[in-house]
Amino acid sequence: MNVAPVPPSLPHAAITITGLTKDFSINLRGVKLRAVDNLTLAVPEGQVFGLLGPNGSGKSTTIKIILGLLEPTVGECQVFGVPSGRVDSRLNVGYLPEAPYFYRYLSGTELVRFYGRICGVPKARLADRVREVIDWVGLSAAAHRRVGTYSKGMLQRIGLAQALVHDPRLIILDEPTAGVDPVGSAEISELILKLKTQGKTVLITSHLLAQIEDICDRVAILDRGKLILEGAVAELVGRQDQQALIVDTLPASELEELRGWLTARGHTLSAVEQPRTRLDQLFLNKISRSPKNGGQA
Amino acid sequence: MSTAKRSVPFSLSRLGIVAGNTFLEAVRQKLFNFLLLLAVALVASAQLFREFNFGSSELKFIADFGFGAMVFFGSILTIAATAQLFFSEIENRTALTLLAKPIWRTEFIFGKLLGVFAVVGVFCALTTGLLLALIYNRETALIEAHPEAFEAGRLIHYGDLLMMGVLQWLKFGVLAAITLLVASFSNTNLFTVVMGFFMLVICHLQYLARDAYSHVTALPLRLLVQGLGYVFPNFQVFNLADQIGIGQGIDPMVFVRVGGYALTYIAVFGALAVYSFSQREI
Repeated sequence: MNVAPVPPSLPHAAITITGLTKDFSINLRGVKLRAVDNLTLAVPEGQVFGLLGPNGSGKSTTIKIILGLLEPTVGECQVFGVPSGRVDSRLNVGYLPEAPYFYRYLSGTELVRFYGRICGVPKARLADRVREVIDWVGLSAAAHRRVGTYSKGMLQRIGLAQALVHDPRLIILDEPTAGVDPVGSAEISELILKLKTQGKTVLITSHLLAQIEDICDRVAILDRGKLILEGAVAELVGRQDQQALIVDTLPASELEELRGWLTARGHTLSAVEQPRTRLDQLFLNKISRSPKNGGQA
Repeated sequence: MSTAKRSVPFSLSRLGIVAGNTFLEAVRQKLFNFLLLLAVALVASAQLFREFNFGSSELKFIADFGFGAMVFFGSILTIAATAQLFFSEIENRTALTLLAKPIWRTEFIFGKLLGVFAVVGVFCALTTGLLLALIYNRETALIEAHPEAFEAGRLIHYGDLLMMGVLQWLKFGVLAAITLLVASFSNTNLFTVVMGFFMLVICHLQYLARDAYSHVTALPLRLLVQGLGYVFPNFQVFNLADQIGIGQGIDPMVFVRVGGYALTYIAVFGALAVYSFSQREI
């Protein structure tokens, strides 16, 4: 189902990957490990795209190639039409690495300012922009604390702030919720959806498939470096041949009556179930913490 | 801010930002405290020389001792700081975040080098300044005690001492560039530090090898030795201790030539480090 890759010539693709293969030498005798195997993929602009796969499936290697940190062995990768090996391909990219570790000796404000200067944010705008993104990720109260004192959730949020400081069109988030509690994870999901409303393209990897399903427009699944599935989430997880009707609890007699009515018309009542709330939703409702709590995550 | 395609030229500003951050890291971690401690220790140990009184020889001895301490601790600091400030970026994966920005690896490497150079510069400025103050005070005391020995005025050429401090700083710059080159392909901090010290010894002793082979007649061997002589900088050229302070003084042209020699090696080793780092998969 939907194994065929999205054509790389997609008119408004933020990322275009064509025939990408990456081998790593693992010893001096020239034995190689193939991390990515003939990957062809396009990430449409303005969408949230999930890159999924088990550990060692080639997600991080693909991301590093997109960011120009690794050279492909074969094939090519373009970001907004610019080959990813070129420095200018990163002008419009913000990146939050997996388990981010930032300069511990800088405060949150100093850290974001540092990356803003590296990205060429004009001096006149820098202070305002730094304040803006720190506020946007909900860390204003902790902005002057040293990053070394931040919790995991706060590190992810300051990481998101540094990724956004130069207002990039493409944001790459590598496991943004790894090690973060459900409240922090929900906050990050909320921020990603806000980015989408601003027209940003988001490429995200995560092992939290429920979260991916909630926020992604499209997903691609990699396994052992190969693309095994790609498509719109709604198409991939929805069942086109069935429908669910949610009604008030029916007495047994009325339920039998309904079953008979359906059977008479050639339909089958496949299942009668009690709808369930999701555990993460229940947790968030019970915790009832404000999404932005001034960096107390 | 984010739409049109544009090229990213090499930027001294970004290089300076990386250098500034490297310097800040050294200052906010333990390195700067280490520097201050060394400087205070130097001052404290120099007080011991007040017990001696053998005129100008004492002043020369203090100068030699001071520069000896600067070379010893400065070499340790240069190698350790370069390796640490580079590997902290690699091991903590902050290099990953930084190099995912629109920045050239050349800017990153030379930024690191400049940051370490600034740290060592502060060390050299502190120790040279303290040494000058110490010698000046002692000379003033000796003039008061033995005015007949100083009829021609002060004996110490303070400008020469200052030049010597600058030359040591430049030598540490060469050492930092060599250590950074090793770090650019090395996998561990420890390997880099050990190799850095090996290189320090080789550069200090390479003149012996050149002297020993100066009488070699076999052309290939002579070319090999000459080649190695160019590959490894001769750190003895920075050792102008015999000419400083007292006596004929440092010829300004020698100072300029040695300075040029150091800057050339810094540029070459820095460029090699950039090339090596550009091949590295992070």
